[in-house]
Amino acid sequence: MSKNTYFKHEGPWSDANDPLMCSDTGDWRTKRPIVDKDKCIFCGFCQIYCPVQVMEMVGDSHFEADLGFCKGCGICAQECPKQAITMVSEGEFVS
Amino acid sequence: MSEKKKGKLSPVIDYKKHEDPFSKGVAFCPGCGLELLIRFIPQVMGNDIVMTGTPSCSAPVLLGQNNQSWHSLSYFGTLMTGAAANATGLVRYYNRAGIDNTVVCFNGDGTAADIGFGNMSGAAERNEPFIYICYDNEGYMNTGIQKSGTTPYGASTTTTPVAKGSRGKNLRRMNLALKMAMSKIPYAATATLSDLGDLAKKLLKAKEMKKNGFCFLHVFAPCPTGWGYDPAMTVEVCRRAVKTNYFPLWEAENGKIRMTKTVNKPKPVEHYMEPIKKFKHLDDNDRAILQEDVDYELCMLGGLSILEKECVLPEAAD
Repeated sequence: MSKNTYFKHEGPWSDANDPLMCSDTGDWRTKRPIVDKDKCIFCGFCQIYCPVQVMEMVGDSHFEADLGFCKGCGICAQECPKQAITMVSEGEFVS
Repeated sequence: MSEKKKGKLSPVIDYKKHEDPFSKGVAFCPGCGLELLIRFIPQVMGNDIVMTGTPSCSAPVLLGQNNQSWHSLSYFGTLMTGAAANATGLVRYYNRAGIDNTVVCFNGDGTAADIGFGNMSGAAERNEPFIYICYDNEGYMNTGIQKSGTTPYGASTTTTPVAKGSRGKNLRRMNLALKMAMSKIPYAATATLSDLGDLAKKLLKAKEMKKNGFCFLHVFAPCPTGWGYDPAMTVEVCRRAVKTNYFPLWEAENGKIRMTKTVNKPKPVEHYMEPIKKFKHLDDNDRAILQEDVDYELCMLGGLSILEKECVLPEAAD
């Protein structure tokens, strides 16, 4: 019959068994969040307000951004109650 | 490792009981309020919800691209004119098949307030048991920042530009959530992204109240690209909207309104408008109109929320 392979699943876009699509959003970033481990009080505000949900707990001491996907919007730095996060220009990390 | 002062972990983290179904890198602008919301909903309500939605900023991600998916939720893409009607069909199918699950109709303000309002209103009247979430970014952001029914007075958009003979939108915004509360549906609420605990409570309450019928949630989700503010200010803009009573937080069960957050000393609406570029051109006269609009809506909410206790009709002036 038809050789159409697009509709072998329930719908063309609905099969979640395939690996999820994932862009390299980390390279959109112009500024990166740097967490000051001593100032961090582990309140979790950066984690809950991060739109991409990239702030990860490091043990139970502080949070660290996953720089592979962080878009560098700076919400974490704005919302941090202790100003423990600073946005540093990506240019300073170019070797 | 030296001892350091530790705070309490935010209670919002406890509401996030489920895994994030989205992949890490999805195509939303940096600082997008919608992305924060869309990842928050399944983390609170569970990954077994069925989402439906329309062409909007959410569609490229929720619908998937090139045969691949950005997330592992169930999603049903519909047209803007029939968003609520399609969700009705899904719910009725599930009811007939005896499957108990939550259908979430997730649309922008363009669908909810303008294009798909008719069938949403119909679904509310028939009391169909699903949850309708409207994320309000005050315009058609995906197609290039055109004005919508919820765009506030004076806002500059591409169809109401600041140019010769035009100084932003010259109409006042509609209050969509209040309209829906007036439909006397089991649950209607407003929420915003600066108060995620409140949003989580309302989401869970809607999931609970859904068995009684139609639930409507109006979520204020600012758009850094369309409004012209620094992406870092997204949550701050939400906070300012609540503090100036520009977007009051309330919930209504069967039409009975109850404020969930009252602001003691509200700041003037200038405080909210200050970081946003779409309001930059406004003069004092325009600001006064917007302030009047905000005061009027708050007054109306206040009046409606005391209806329960005592109702004194004003005397007729003949």
